[in-house]
Amino acid sequence: MSTYSIEEAREIIQGYKGPKIRIMEVCGTHTHEIFKHGIRSLLPENIELISGPGCPVCVTQVGFIDEAVMLATDYHVQVCTFGDLIRVPGTEKSLADIRREGADVKMVYSPLDAVALAVQHPEKEVVFLAVGFETTTPVACLAVKHAMAQGVKNFSVLTANKTMPNAYQALKTSADAFLFPGHVNTITGESVCRDLMEKDGVSGVIAGFTAEELLDALATIVVRIQEGKPFFENCYTRVAKPEGNPKAMAVIDEVMEPCDTQWRGLGIIPGSGLKLREKYAAYDARRKFNLPKIEGKPNPACRCGEVLQGKCKPSDCKVFGKGCTPQHPIGACMVSNEGACSAYFQYGRN
Amino acid sequence: MCVGLAAKVVGLKDGMALVDASGAKREISAELIDDLEPGDYVMVHAGIAIAKIDEEEAV
Amino acid sequence: MEQKVVTLAHGAGGKQTAALIREVFKEHFDNPEFTPDDAAVLNIDGAKIAMSTDGFIVSPFEFNGGNIGKLSICGTVNDLACMGAKPEYMTCAFVIEEGFPLDKLEMIANSMEKTAAEVGVKLVAGDTKVAGKGQVDKVFITTAGIGRLTEGFKTSGAFARPGDQIIVTGDVGRHGCTILLAREDLGIDAEIKSDCAPLWGAVESMIETTRDIHVIRDATRGGVGTVLYEIAAESGVGVRLDASSIPVDPAVQGVCGMLGLDPLYLANEGTMVVIAPKEAAGALLETLKKGKYTKNAAIIGEITEEMTGKVVLTTAIGTQTMLPEPGGELLPRIC
Repeated sequence: MSTYSIEEAREIIQGYKGPKIRIMEVCGTHTHEIFKHGIRSLLPENIELISGPGCPVCVTQVGFIDEAVMLATDYHVQVCTFGDLIRVPGTEKSLADIRREGADVKMVYSPLDAVALAVQHPEKEVVFLAVGFETTTPVACLAVKHAMAQGVKNFSVLTANKTMPNAYQALKTSADAFLFPGHVNTITGESVCRDLMEKDGVSGVIAGFTAEELLDALATIVVRIQEGKPFFENCYTRVAKPEGNPKAMAVIDEVMEPCDTQWRGLGIIPGSGLKLREKYAAYDARRKFNLPKIEGKPNPACRCGEVLQGKCKPSDCKVFGKGCTPQHPIGACMVSNEGACSAYFQYGRN
Repeated sequence: MCVGLAAKVVGLKDGMALVDASGAKREISAELIDDLEPGDYVMVHAGIAIAKIDEEEAV
Repeated sequence: MEQKVVTLAHGAGGKQTAALIREVFKEHFDNPEFTPDDAAVLNIDGAKIAMSTDGFIVSPFEFNGGNIGKLSICGTVNDLACMGAKPEYMTCAFVIEEGFPLDKLEMIANSMEKTAAEVGVKLVAGDTKVAGKGQVDKVFITTAGIGRLTEGFKTSGAFARPGDQIIVTGDVGRHGCTILLAREDLGIDAEIKSDCAPLWGAVESMIETTRDIHVIRDATRGGVGTVLYEIAAESGVGVRLDASSIPVDPAVQGVCGMLGLDPLYLANEGTMVVIAPKEAAGALLETLKKGKYTKNAAIIGEITEEMTGKVVLTTAIGTQTMLPEPGGELLPRIC
């Protein structure tokens, strides 16, 4: 239940007179909903919202797209992906580019649908592009488990899954308080965020996604920050329970193990990635097809990296809105609907 | 990072749930939620239920 | 990177479609009658007629609420109706894939006959081509039509004026949603029927109610959002929508929620955007609500002087936000 009504929350936020507060929303869906509900237009000048690295598409390294492109074009597999990844530029090509040239790129709603496609088409090799954080990873793990249980041999996943705890460590000085991603906490529970407060003095609240929930979370931050000590609150208890979803955490742990991984803009964060455990090696597309190591090259003009760390606004980037638009994206943040640049471009450009 | 949608469980079978979001129906995996019953509300993401939601707060 | 080939986005009805028309077709075809509106207005020896043409490649060719045949009549009828022209004569050209079942072709012809009869338009000439297996996707239809213009009545995308009210003639996004569910293997099931319908009757009764109508535009490909951006640009005005007054079928809303899509960008095939001065809008709405295909009509916003070229939404919590500008191909968003 929310603490503040929409009216109360507005009053608290707009009445804030203290020193400047920098709030980072780490979740791309938050960025998107904040724009959609026009919430920025309510904020006084001394409250700044920074869009962080919480869009799986935006933080996925260029080399991952190159790997997917190579699988589809050189290994002739059917690449199954969420719609979000289709237009992300690789070093040379996006999945949309190669689909146009005849490669087999298929949009799916769920990784489980990709397993079903593999069953229906035993003549094809089906590879699912597994991106996402704790929210999306469990279903990818389930897909792998199902494939193994059903003896499906022509299915594998290309992993770029990431986890948030170590990323928070890399970001903790970027803002005064965080809007924690409600659906990640739905899986992980509250402990990660509590630890951040207790051990690192990082403040934040778990936020939901409706206008009412977002305003409630922002008002809670404004009130608590004036108390002058680190705080944590869960403003999304209707969905994100304190213990999270232990079964989902267990399935991640059963199928995947931590690894170092590269985040676009943040570099390599040790232990922040996930890869398939040895037991499931047969479902790891990199091993199955013996993919060479690919180092992608992002476009040097693009400042997505700094945008993702909250170091600059999308509109500070030289190519924003000029060379780089949702129609012709240069960086991943302009591609994904959740990307900070795309959201800035589509909803108002400042 | 994660588009979620609240939906009502209208059927259950072999670890799968049929959910209804104001008339849009889809079969999703219910493996990660214990004790799900028809009439319950769940948060759906990419083809699975990630949480059960209290009914009066779902809509 | 410069794109050198035609992409799906060029056909999605947004910015890139407009660019393709401007840079390729207008470049070569331009003349005084060349039009950005749905139909051209022509003067032949003093007789004023409207002329329009439209190609149909819908897959699947049968869908809940219609089929490619009904669609091919409605599309051209509605384009003419948008100019206030009574559809009189039509032609149709079929490109049929080798192996297409004859009974299906008959079904398509039957629904074309019925729809044409309802409107009172006559099919007067046609063409049939059969293409080899795989060269077309089952059946493509192109129709063209001419219509009689209503004396003294003229609408255009460039006629919207500040203060005008914006009406949609029905709930938005049903056709696009129907096709999306039928075409992509998204596994989503919903009782959604395409809004595919001929709207000359609706336009005729609007004209009988008042001639004080500035714009009538068919919100097909690209949806209501794209049409409003076009009108804002052509008229040099701004658009303000009230988010909570936009009619959307709950099931369409549910599907859009699952896929992260906006119903304002889904295609319609029997829903128009009508823009008229405040004094006329109420009467028009009343007329529409009595119509066969326009019972869910609603006033959804107004034309403004400020924010030229933009579509601004007043949200349910009273804040202002921009409607995203129409982009390329619709991609469901999941993560």
